[in-house]
Amino acid sequence: MRILLIEDDRRTVDYIMRGFTESGHVCDVLADGRDALFAVTRDRYDVIVADRMIPGLDGLSTVKAMRAAGVQTPVLFLTAIGGIDDRVEGLDAGGDDYLVKPFAFSELLARVNALGRRPPAQEQRSVLRVADLEIDLFRRLVTRQGQRIELQPREFKLLEVLMRSEGRVVTRTMLLEQVWSFNFDPKTSVVETHISRLRAKIDKPFERQLLHTVRNIGYSLHAPT
Amino acid sequence: MHRLELLRRTPFRLALSFALLFVLAFVLSGLVIYQLMRSDLSQRLDEAARENFSVMAATYGDGDLEDLVATVDSHAQLTSPKEQLFSLADADGRHLAGNFVAGNPPDGLSVIREGRAGLPEGISYRVYSGKVGGNRLTVALSYAQTEALESLILMGFGWASTLVALLAVAGGAWLASRVQRRLDAVAATLGDVSQGRLHARIPLMGSGDDVDDVSMQVNRALERLQSLVEGMRQVTNDIAHDLKTPLNRLQIILEAADNKAAAGESVSGELLEATTEIIQINETFAALLRIAQIEAGARKARFADVDLDAVVETICEIYDDVAEDQGMSLAVKKTLQGPGGFIHGDSELLTQMFANLVENALRHCPGGTNVELSVRRDGDRIVATVSDNGPGIPPEEHEKVFRRLYRLDKSRSTPGSGLGLSLVRTIADLHGATVMLANRNPGLVVSVDFPASGPAEA
Repeated sequence: MRILLIEDDRRTVDYIMRGFTESGHVCDVLADGRDALFAVTRDRYDVIVADRMIPGLDGLSTVKAMRAAGVQTPVLFLTAIGGIDDRVEGLDAGGDDYLVKPFAFSELLARVNALGRRPPAQEQRSVLRVADLEIDLFRRLVTRQGQRIELQPREFKLLEVLMRSEGRVVTRTMLLEQVWSFNFDPKTSVVETHISRLRAKIDKPFERQLLHTVRNIGYSLHAPT
Repeated sequence: MHRLELLRRTPFRLALSFALLFVLAFVLSGLVIYQLMRSDLSQRLDEAARENFSVMAATYGDGDLEDLVATVDSHAQLTSPKEQLFSLADADGRHLAGNFVAGNPPDGLSVIREGRAGLPEGISYRVYSGKVGGNRLTVALSYAQTEALESLILMGFGWASTLVALLAVAGGAWLASRVQRRLDAVAATLGDVSQGRLHARIPLMGSGDDVDDVSMQVNRALERLQSLVEGMRQVTNDIAHDLKTPLNRLQIILEAADNKAAAGESVSGELLEATTEIIQINETFAALLRIAQIEAGARKARFADVDLDAVVETICEIYDDVAEDQGMSLAVKKTLQGPGGFIHGDSELLTQMFANLVENALRHCPGGTNVELSVRRDGDRIVATVSDNGPGIPPEEHEKVFRRLYRLDKSRSTPGSGLGLSLVRTIADLHGATVMLANRNPGLVVSVDFPASGPAEA
């Protein structure tokens, strides 16, 4: 993917650039909001990662101006300003996701991947399929190898999020946000517990494992390779 | 205070302007009254002159000139020329009677100015003259009395004006200085505050007037400011205190790693340890900032009606399996079922609050513990409880556990920032709710007492 990073801190830039390049992405860096605004109207990017506090034009205004100019590229705000209201402000301004510094690169990568391949809204399918696992979002049915699997509502939602991100890592924090609407980090094993319940239902009875744990980062659902 | 400075003060300027306006109004109305009285007096004088004339003329009614002469002479003798003058002359202008020679005044009313030869000095007269038979009868009345009256009025009025002016200015100054003193007190208090003495408050008069009102509002704002600043100070102290420990550990870990690296050994274990410490530090930071942000109250703008029942049910559903995995049970014992369970609040924060309470129970209780959630109505309050039959908390610790970063001695070994319950209290405060702990032997009941947003319904 081609990623535009709008960030002025040299160390952060180096750290993120190296990570993106190693993951096979192309990454351009601009330190100034006005330059960035010009760049996005000229070049096509798949994802924009924007710091909120940058010289020239601050990140929030840059993204607002971008949206006003009709640029639809997904934007992830990367910032030290991490309050709930700042988060809302960022999303209202046209951001698609929000990651608070300090962050782990794996978290950033997972989120950028999710944004970059997020299917357009009109392509919403009602049946998702990963290998022999099938989930019917409309009738709320889950089957594997044709066998019905009964899931609790929360487990169903969890599976849906994982299946939508097939093959990509979904971090624990992303799951907390999307499945539980928790914008805080619970001190107990809410995610782990539900993952293990889900695994017991969709993976345990079958030979091949689809739900994989990515250590210290999150989870990924994909066919065995 | 400098004199010119005083003139720039609003109360003094107001008082002075009002005093001047008042004096001006008084003088103006005085002038009007004076004018009215003057015209009334001169009218009376005219009438008196005319009447005297007709009384005398009447004596000539039957054409007897002797009588008229006698009357005029007797009148002239009976009165002082300073008050009245009489003159009777025949058709040829010869003086017949009276105490002055009138000359040839016009018929009807006229005036003799002061200073005419042969007349008392300094006196003007009002004259009425007319023909009686063939003779000219002239009656003149002195202006002296009216003038004396007029000057009396003028003098009285002058004194009154002076008195009014003095009273107005002095009274105004007195009132102004009262208000000024109170404004000075406000200014002094705010000066104190800007010097950092946040406990300073404006003294109230207790009269409930507008200055008191404003003072009360300012005091309330100061109260809030003080508590925020103290909260901030507290947070800063807490952060400094609580982060020093893990930072110190981090330093030790890194030194050890450095030594190992120098010796050519692998440092991956130290790096993992360091990462864990940093995550912990970040979490503590995030929690403290979150508390501080909620305390700032900005979220109140997004309050809506929230069904507490639903929040509690969701929490139970989310943590049900977690509890089961730890060999405990979690259940909703009782809810209100229906619209009676609505409160005004932020559902995200309320979810976090109950999540914290349930997590506390799950983390500090041994296996086999039952945790129960309930929501009940108590008049216009809605009480939500999280209760367990675990080990409980000693009563003397009940208040302390809400403090930031406070942890019971025995829980120092379990993970946690010591911020969970202070966050609970912060969220409760934002919702106007009170949090209480009670022992139930065995176990602990945490109740959160909310004001209901609507009436109870069956």
